[in-house]
Amino acid sequence: MQKIHVPVKLPESVEGKEVTVLGIESTSHTLGVGVLRFSRGSVEILANISSQYKPEKGGIHPREASQHHMKNAPTVLREALGKAGVSMRDINTVAVAVGPGIGPCLRVGATIARFLSKYFNIPLTPVNHAVAHIEIGKLFSGFNDPVIVYVSGGNTMVLVQKNSQYRVMGETLDIPLGNLFDTFTREIGIAPPYVVDGKHAIDVCAEWSQEFQPLPYTIKGNDLSFSGLLTAALKLAKEANGGKESLGRICNSLRETAFNMLIEVSERVLALTNKKQLLLVGGVASNKVLRWKMETLTSIYNVKYYGTPPDVAGDNGVMIAYTGLLLYLYGRTSKPEETHVKQRYRIDEEAYPWL
Amino acid sequence: MALSSESNLWGAEAVIYIGEFLGRKVVIKKRRSKQYRHPVYDTIFIQARTRNEAKILAELYAAGLKVPAPLLVDVEKGALVMEYIEGERLSEKLADIEARELVEIAWDIGRQSALMHNRKIYHGDLTIANIIYSGRGVYIIDFGLAGYSTDIEEHAIDIHLLQKSIYSLYPHLLKPFMESYFKAYREYYSGSFDEIMYKLREISTRGRYIDRELRRSVMRERYVG
Repeated sequence: MQKIHVPVKLPESVEGKEVTVLGIESTSHTLGVGVLRFSRGSVEILANISSQYKPEKGGIHPREASQHHMKNAPTVLREALGKAGVSMRDINTVAVAVGPGIGPCLRVGATIARFLSKYFNIPLTPVNHAVAHIEIGKLFSGFNDPVIVYVSGGNTMVLVQKNSQYRVMGETLDIPLGNLFDTFTREIGIAPPYVVDGKHAIDVCAEWSQEFQPLPYTIKGNDLSFSGLLTAALKLAKEANGGKESLGRICNSLRETAFNMLIEVSERVLALTNKKQLLLVGGVASNKVLRWKMETLTSIYNVKYYGTPPDVAGDNGVMIAYTGLLLYLYGRTSKPEETHVKQRYRIDEEAYPWL
Repeated sequence: MALSSESNLWGAEAVIYIGEFLGRKVVIKKRRSKQYRHPVYDTIFIQARTRNEAKILAELYAAGLKVPAPLLVDVEKGALVMEYIEGERLSEKLADIEARELVEIAWDIGRQSALMHNRKIYHGDLTIANIIYSGRGVYIIDFGLAGYSTDIEEHAIDIHLLQKSIYSLYPHLLKPFMESYFKAYREYYSGSFDEIMYKLREISTRGRYIDRELRRSVMRERYVG
């Protein structure tokens, strides 16, 4: 397996240390377990196994999603350990995403992690899910100080690092971008499934037309608001009454408007901070159109661009394991009885020593 | 029109040229076409923003507010020529400032933003990087995101953005600055100052994963009174 150099500052005490981490992700629709090994300043991904809850109708149902996680956890965990070729006795720390996310789902991961920690007497490392998305992006890109554009079903924000913290420069004030696309495609009856072969229903629909029509565009300073856009697009779709051509036009315009809002905020943050790297992370980072727009944007400013590859862009256990590794190396572990889930765990409420 | 190309500045949206027009030093703001936008959208976007900015600048300038005088506008080309304001951005000026001067500057910004809001105009990006301190007073610039609205939401957003920008660069100046700002704003604002203050609190609880107790207390106030 390929070894990747850790691009962030580590404490000096890690020299010569070998650490194996198990990471558990269960914040939303994905139950993921990742195993990685750290030695001599590099990490090696040993396993990245996940199982996704796919609703038959509607959006994510918290109880059903958590039941899916409970049912699949033993298999996914066993498969991950098997693929990695390690036993629980080899694991130095169990990392778990404790938030932000859906309560019942979070509790599944936290319960498993607490159990493993207690039973095998291994330290537990709680991880912020949003930080994990960013850290895994930084690991793969090798970037040290990028403007970060984080877009997923639960988050839409543009961030930079400052004074050992992630600082949110702009974020959505209501619904996230992924949620906007999911809700719209669901309401007009072309989803679920939301993503087929790595392609979202909105992209399928947008290909039905090349036309564009203006829709509400809401930016407040560096913050975004998508709810008015959603309402307007749904109203148009209702009036259009199902024709493939007109529906395509609305999808295309919706996607174009939403992406342009995000691009404008990213561009403003680039111009404001003068940073030379731009990192795209989160589930929506797999979207080809958004990738293309970001690449075009960065080429104008002569900024290095990196979009996280799809297998680690969406929710996964490896990113939790990797961020858990960093926290573990800095001694930020926690006792099982003191580790609780935090549904509202903001990315900017804590400092991280490697930033 | 003479252009000096060395002093070009790249903003996010537009290129800024410094030049000379009818014997005066001017700023030329040229909105750039962006490849990442749909072509139809690109044209609509550039023209709408240029037209909007020129219109609002003209109205505010005529009303006697300290904004750059708009001199020439070419909507088709997305170009706007306006007066050059000699001075220092407030984002730099605040790095080294005396207490008395801070109070005066904040007061004047409070007065000007109230007068702007009284005309149902909001700025949309009122940050200390968009305020210039010159020998002739405090100027508000860059009305690219400005617009017309009677909704106090937009007025409160302006104040919220200003607070946020001060806090992110000079957290220790926030309190004295806003005290003086609000004093003037309250004096000049024709709408309800209390409503603005309430809206400000509500805005600060937006965003994802904000502390539930804080949000709840704001909502409780709204419905229970």
